[in-house]
Amino acid sequence: MHATVEHPAEHVEPKRIFLIVWGFLLALTGVEVLLAYQSLEIKVMLVLLMTLSIVKASLIIAYFMHLRYERRSLALVLMPAMVFVIAMLFVVFPDSLRLLWMSTQ
Amino acid sequence: MEAHAVATHAHAAPTGFIRKYIFSLDHKVIGKQYYFLALFSVVVGILLSVLMRWHLVWPDARIPLLDKLSPTGAPGGIMTPEYYLSLLTMHGTLMVFFVLTTAPQSGFGNFLLPIQIGAEDMAFPRLNMLSFWVTFAGLVVLLSSFFVGDGPPLSGWTAYTPLSAVGSVAGPGEGTGQTLWVISIALFCVGSLLGALNFITTTLDLRTRGLTLMRLPLTCWAWFITAVLALLSFAVLFAAGVLLLLDRVGGTSFFVPAGLVVSDQRIAHSGGSPLLWQHLFWFFGHPEVYIAILPGMGITSHVLSTFSRKPIFGYRAMVYAMMAIGFLGFMVWGHHMFVSGMSPYVGFAFSVFTMAIGVPSAIKTFNWLGTLWGGKLRLNTAMLFAIGFVSLFVSGGLSGLFLAQPPVDTNLHATYFVVGHFHLVMGVAAIFGMFAGTFFWFPKMFGRMMNETLGKIHFWITFVGVYCIFMPMHFLGLEGNIRRYSRFTDVNFLVPLIPLHKFMTIAAFVTAGAQFIFLFNLFWSMFKGEKATENPWEATSLEWTVPSPPPFDNFAGRHPVVYRGPYEFSVPGAPKDYVMQDAPEPVAAH
Amino acid sequence: MASHEAVTLGLHETESMWAGGRSPFAVGSKKLGMWLFIVSDAITFSALLIAYSFVRVASPSWPRPFESASIANATVMTLILLTSSITVVMAVRQAKLGNRSAVAGWLAATMLGGILFDVLHLREWVGLIEEGVRLFKNPWGTPQFGAAFFTLTGLHMTHVTVGVVYLGVIAIGTKRGKYTAEDVEVSGLYWHFVDLVWMFIFPLVYLMSAKFA
Repeated sequence: MHATVEHPAEHVEPKRIFLIVWGFLLALTGVEVLLAYQSLEIKVMLVLLMTLSIVKASLIIAYFMHLRYERRSLALVLMPAMVFVIAMLFVVFPDSLRLLWMSTQ
Repeated sequence: MEAHAVATHAHAAPTGFIRKYIFSLDHKVIGKQYYFLALFSVVVGILLSVLMRWHLVWPDARIPLLDKLSPTGAPGGIMTPEYYLSLLTMHGTLMVFFVLTTAPQSGFGNFLLPIQIGAEDMAFPRLNMLSFWVTFAGLVVLLSSFFVGDGPPLSGWTAYTPLSAVGSVAGPGEGTGQTLWVISIALFCVGSLLGALNFITTTLDLRTRGLTLMRLPLTCWAWFITAVLALLSFAVLFAAGVLLLLDRVGGTSFFVPAGLVVSDQRIAHSGGSPLLWQHLFWFFGHPEVYIAILPGMGITSHVLSTFSRKPIFGYRAMVYAMMAIGFLGFMVWGHHMFVSGMSPYVGFAFSVFTMAIGVPSAIKTFNWLGTLWGGKLRLNTAMLFAIGFVSLFVSGGLSGLFLAQPPVDTNLHATYFVVGHFHLVMGVAAIFGMFAGTFFWFPKMFGRMMNETLGKIHFWITFVGVYCIFMPMHFLGLEGNIRRYSRFTDVNFLVPLIPLHKFMTIAAFVTAGAQFIFLFNLFWSMFKGEKATENPWEATSLEWTVPSPPPFDNFAGRHPVVYRGPYEFSVPGAPKDYVMQDAPEPVAAH
Repeated sequence: MASHEAVTLGLHETESMWAGGRSPFAVGSKKLGMWLFIVSDAITFSALLIAYSFVRVASPSWPRPFESASIANATVMTLILLTSSITVVMAVRQAKLGNRSAVAGWLAATMLGGILFDVLHLREWVGLIEEGVRLFKNPWGTPQFGAAFFTLTGLHMTHVTVGVVYLGVIAIGTKRGKYTAEDVEVSGLYWHFVDLVWMFIFPLVYLMSAKFA
């Protein structure tokens, strides 16, 4: 048994917007690859690459996965839960830094 | 007009035996399947605990038949220290995963959630069936470790690395047994994830007209929040399980540090960290204890309100308290690792958040007491077990505040204090929730009433019994009695404690024996019990508006409409002392 | 009509979205179910990526063995995956417009992208295995390098492969009229998610281990 939704006149977004997003994603990938060959400190590199990746992921979620066009409530139910849990996982890093510190002492 | 959700019959009533009772798509059958899977697991789990208690106080007694089960693990019926740990591991794994996670959520939740929200079935019946059979496969794989290789694994239900990662060199059962354990848990994760997304979708999408979120019975809220926790936390355990499996069979070393020597053998792996396993495991493990207890809280709230003939005290506070417990549950896993070596600053944060969980827990407790206060109590068996739940939850929960503090925990962590704490608050309390649920919904599930006299005898023996078993553990812990040891009789400073251990073992025998009263009552009532009416408890939620047991599609094609909240008892001016959720609003009310 | 209904049920009008009898998000259950699966799977991948980062951070040295040919190969794979996402978008669009055979065509193009991705990736795997990279060792030092690489990319490749099969089933079913536009959209969500995961694996596994003189 499912709840199914009948759209009397299905709303179809224009093709153009998806092609623009696609272009952005390709460009950002290019930027990432170029960035990988700059001699930056590893922390700076990591922050830059992850920022770009989060931008790319957000574009995919918002446009390709259509979340931007759904009711706001869907995004508000799904995204905070996911982001919160992933953010909490970062609490493991003090321990790995401590392990590094111990092994280099 | 708004797009309306249209409920459609996705499947017709089955006819053949296999479609009806085995590979059934009906949530009611799947709920019962989960219930009986958990019942089987709990019987095995209790049996294992009885064997362990027996061995602890009479370590040289020959336990009959045990040498038949494992000639190497228990030569002549006397279990080896390793076999004791095997039984401990299996007891923990069975109880935590296949009982506490399975019966209250997947069992009762499956049977009741769709009926309580006025739906014909879960959102994804096929996925539901798949969840059950994957879980079943997980149980079979886990139990098979008794019969292959050197028996079940030794590393406890937490499977701490590196010993669980290095293979049979770490002891009997650490070879094939531990691999089977990991596979079983991975399967269980898959089953739970599929179940969780089904529960969430069902609760959000399939509520019948008028059933707003704040009109949901607290049971539904509990199942919903539990499903959210399961969806988010089992995902991490699955990842951890994949890595552990690769460490075991693929030769990776995510969890094995360099230079490790086990059983005088140097382990070739290097560069991993046992702490990583502990982090990933407890990231799941702490939400898991709320997965076990929240449905019991929902059932308790429901039963207490019904048999106090009063609205639940502070409905919204109850809902927000459950949400707060679920939310904080993701921020406290480090309190399981205070003795693993942790930065004091991180430990401090974990400690503060852990104690903060006391606030919503206290809100719930006081609201339960507020519900009982001044009520016209009907002290039947379901009500007794619900009150027992509150008692056990408080007794077990208070010691949690001790253990939340790193300096105290450092001393108590490896002792029986912890065993007493988590058995009372998570184990027995949740099981009392299941007993309350069984006595309360048995008429709906099987169309007959359970015997009240047998029920009350069973309640009193169990209630007194579990306190006799688990309360003394706190004092043992304070005396420094180490947990996970199989033999205390040779340890000088523990010898004076043996009489107390004997008392606990005898209490365990009596309590375990009393469960036969329950089993007899359950199966006898299923066939010979008094026929149940549609609403024997004069309760208000939607499951009591349909026949006992309900027809295949629950409401026989009808779509109920809900006009009010679930706990309208003793409403002034109403003809009876309860108002059903689907009773239309009096015309003059607005 | 919605407000009339709200009055008879004793509700405030603003509550009616959550009042039952409908999806609060105005999406079908299948779509919500897939979203929940994606949230869960995203957390699984996050946990694996964090486990990889944990061992990498804790290790005093981590190899950076990928020659520019490898990086070029992975970049091409990324472009293929991104392009396969746009073909899925086209399939979903055609499904909404009701052009069943166009749907099957675009889905077939997507599957081709997925297969190409797998082929390029396996070629890379074979190359690395020939160089002596295993789950437990590699020629360049820290043994966790091979473990992390094969675990992460292996699990992702499994997702791509499952996705290709899933899209195939949907393509055939749609052509035969068995599946609706919603089913196509739900399978598209899964495919975009596979793409999304790669957006993190590519920089963390490849770019952060690029060799440069």
